[in-house]
Amino acid sequence: MSDFKKILKNNFWLENPVIVQILGICSTLAVTNNLRNTLIMTIGVTLVTALSNFTISAMRNLIPRKVRMITQVLVISFYVIMVDIVLRAYAPDVSKALGPYVGLIITNCIIMGRAEAFAQGNKPLISFWDGFTAGLGYMFVLVVVAFFRELLGFGTVLGFQVLPNSFPKWTIMVMPPSAFFVLASFIWIVRGMQIKKDVNQPTGGEKK
Amino acid sequence: MRFDRDSKVYTVIFTFIVSFAFLVVLSGLNVMTSQQVKKNQELFMIRAVLNAMGIPYTSDDEAIDIFKSKVTMETKDSYNLFSAEVDGEKVYAILFNGSGLWGNISGVLAVNSDVSRIVGIDFISQSETPGLGGRIEESWFKEQFRNEAIVNGKVLVSTTKVPDSKDDGQVDAITGATLTSKSIEKIIATYIPILKSLLGVN
Repeated sequence: MSDFKKILKNNFWLENPVIVQILGICSTLAVTNNLRNTLIMTIGVTLVTALSNFTISAMRNLIPRKVRMITQVLVISFYVIMVDIVLRAYAPDVSKALGPYVGLIITNCIIMGRAEAFAQGNKPLISFWDGFTAGLGYMFVLVVVAFFRELLGFGTVLGFQVLPNSFPKWTIMVMPPSAFFVLASFIWIVRGMQIKKDVNQPTGGEKK
Repeated sequence: MRFDRDSKVYTVIFTFIVSFAFLVVLSGLNVMTSQQVKKNQELFMIRAVLNAMGIPYTSDDEAIDIFKSKVTMETKDSYNLFSAEVDGEKVYAILFNGSGLWGNISGVLAVNSDVSRIVGIDFISQSETPGLGGRIEESWFKEQFRNEAIVNGKVLVSTTKVPDSKDDGQVDAITGATLTSKSIEKIIATYIPILKSLLGVN
């Protein structure tokens, strides 16, 4: 059981895919100017990562080594297309708002990274958990970035007006460049906290 | 044989079976939902036509009912021309397609019977910059066109502040989205002559 806990802690905080591994940056920049779209996108990524990890892990002993990566991409795109079809049929407004980004989940490095690094060598259930928590780590970062971008760019949170109308809207916040600023500041703060903790930990005489 | 995972035969068979299995599931799902997807696309169009014509509705179901009972559609010169009676006046609408800054903009343009005023405009799909050009979908922008006079066959989308007059054929552009605003102006200028020839007015 402690394995599950460790994976959660690693994927969510210590080795957060976006903050520490700097993976999946494209989509982080692209979809975070609006909190609602970000939530739907990250839920999609989380589900795809979890399910593709599960599937790849379940068939890991059958996959020939030569076509390992192709098979992984096949499984990932299978789930992404599924998400796309379901959104198009049952949430057309959302699907319209996200446009091509749903299809681009396929190219999200986090999914491929987890499949290759974890699912390929572990049992299905724990692989599912690993994918799921990696998705949550991704979601956590994107939601924070999107929250600040939407708040400062539109004066709203999830579409509700929270800042007074007299607040000057920062147009830059809804444009792609602002994602760099917000994400970089966020990485700076989080990494600062993590490194500080490392330094303060007694290491029993061993030099770090 | 069974566990010789690197033999060519096994690789080919494995790839084939896996691709085939996933493909069958996906195409099944696609067929199952295609009806729903088609319905959604129709709904987008119906809502846009009603919005452009200025016919109010409260729910999607009501929109479909109103569309079926009030709006008639005919095909003229390969264009779909919608017509309806709104507040005792005949209103015509046409589906438009034109290029914006990043991609295609499609929507519905509604005019009165002698093509002297725009009744309304609504967009079905666009891929303009979110927060800038994408704001053409916001109601303040679309409402500017409501009952705006058509002057010299077009409506000017002006980048300078224009007076709130419905007779000068001018509306405000979106700040920071001049190219998108100008694209809308161009699309309207393209479709007004088409509407005129379809309706037989000069």
